[in-house]
Amino acid sequence: MREGPNTVYMEAEEPSQRVTSGVLSKNYASMVLQWAPPLALILVALGAWEGAVRLFHVARWLLPPPSSIGMELWESRSLLLRHTWVTLEEVFLGFALALVVGIALAAAIAYSRIVERAAYPFVIASQTVPIIAIAPLLLIWIGYGIWPKIIVVTLISFFPIVVNTVDGLKSADPDMLNMMRTLGARRWQLFTKVQVPSSVPFLFSGIRVGVALSVIGAVIGEWVGASAGLGYLMTRSAPQFLTDRVFASIFILSAMGITLFALAVLAERYAIPWYRREKQDKAIKGR
Amino acid sequence: MWPVTVGMTSNAEHTPGEGPRIELAKPKIELDGIGKDFVVDRNALPVLRDVDLSVHEGEFVSIIGPSGCGKSTILNIIAGLDEPTRGEVRTDGRPSARRLGAIGYMHQKDLLLPWRTVLDNAILGLELQGKPKSQSRSRALELMDSFGLKGFEKNYPALLSGGMRQRVAFLRTVLADHQVILLDEPFGALDAMTRANMQEWLLQLWESWGKTVILVTHDVEEAVLLSDRVYVLTARPGRVKMELSVDLPRPRRYEMVTEESFVKMKAGIIAALRDGNTRNWVVDDGNGIPTVAEGQP
Repeated sequence: MREGPNTVYMEAEEPSQRVTSGVLSKNYASMVLQWAPPLALILVALGAWEGAVRLFHVARWLLPPPSSIGMELWESRSLLLRHTWVTLEEVFLGFALALVVGIALAAAIAYSRIVERAAYPFVIASQTVPIIAIAPLLLIWIGYGIWPKIIVVTLISFFPIVVNTVDGLKSADPDMLNMMRTLGARRWQLFTKVQVPSSVPFLFSGIRVGVALSVIGAVIGEWVGASAGLGYLMTRSAPQFLTDRVFASIFILSAMGITLFALAVLAERYAIPWYRREKQDKAIKGR
Repeated sequence: MWPVTVGMTSNAEHTPGEGPRIELAKPKIELDGIGKDFVVDRNALPVLRDVDLSVHEGEFVSIIGPSGCGKSTILNIIAGLDEPTRGEVRTDGRPSARRLGAIGYMHQKDLLLPWRTVLDNAILGLELQGKPKSQSRSRALELMDSFGLKGFEKNYPALLSGGMRQRVAFLRTVLADHQVILLDEPFGALDAMTRANMQEWLLQLWESWGKTVILVTHDVEEAVLLSDRVYVLTARPGRVKMELSVDLPRPRRYEMVTEESFVKMKAGIIAALRDGNTRNWVVDDGNGIPTVAEGQP
């Protein structure tokens, strides 16, 4: 490869075309290319499942075919919807709390070395405590209301937010901080004008992980003791061999997780438009 | 090797001691016997040794030397980001403990904040000084044209070219309105064409503004073309090896690089850089611009 640099140049040019071209048909084509393979895989898997269950006459309580899960989703929609709202409420409140606590804690840890030394080991250690083991304790202490679930959601999802945000706050370019100092910046100005903005992309990757975990947290909270919610519905349906209802609940929970994740990605694009451009720029210039 | 003066000197050689002349022209910035050690694996690594250097008001001075000779450390010390291990820094004839925030400093990297638009990057210094935003913005907007940034005010830095980003960084430094501006290889990351354009543009700008500028570079031609005086440093630990007054007339033009007196001065600097220094060689990078490089030729 004698034209090494040239080849690099050509490769580097390609994303810039993708960035600048606003042609709708081209975007549409690339969307099809992106979504077609996973969609096809799901359809094949569902078809095989359906076919196998029918072919071998598997009992419905053991493994219902996708079609009967779909039927269950439709027929019990009002019941499922009612429980979905309960779980969603726990997820939202718990995650909001995790966000507030996580960001505040991360800011304190990054700003003060004493806070970092005192608190950070416990933040890390908190992840080694199995949340499932704590949930029954919360039940004893707080009771059957919504709060034990909110706390489990918070406990499980605040960790990625704290860790990522601390990393982000510390990731600020030292040369950039020095440049700010020569312009007369004070400590808090370095924090608010450089460290905080540099941490936002990190915060969002914490949010993406945390939001997916928060759904798991809500289900665990409901398993331990609840009177409503999709987790509760599953624990009640399983002993009655309403297996298709269990599957329907699982389906809704995954859809919830995926939707929340997608919302986090959208929020990131909206909140930090500069970050995508920076990434594209790096791709173009090959830096 | 002690400072040797090549070419026609003017007021550069200042005699220590008293006298009315020194009263008249106190150096804006003065380094007196500056030494700096860095601690590496518990050993002191001397980076600068006995650096004496002075810059007068409105003067354009370059510091040139092989890579790793502590050029940037000198600027860090003048800016107040770093303190010398030995020696004293004086501004306007007085020892100055608080230089940080009082002296403009432009790095080789543009260090633009990627989440701010061109305009908001430019007014950063004024914003940190607590000036009202709308006022700062209108001041910056007035200068956009002469910095070749008109029409890009609302862009994020990511989509600008290297030369433009560097001009934004320069505008940010200029707007902060310091009397002394330090430039650390400001054009080092640019390609040769852009660099020549930027040099010429900086010349025009400086000749109309008359700020005190200290430029660190390892481009010999750039140093001669832009400066009133050039300091040549030795390899680490850096010391002043030669001080050269550039007596080319102003305004300067890029074409001067081919004139005989220019070439002579260039040769003098290159000789000083090579002299007694086997690790560093001056190489021609193909553009007729000799630069100092490490390693064997």
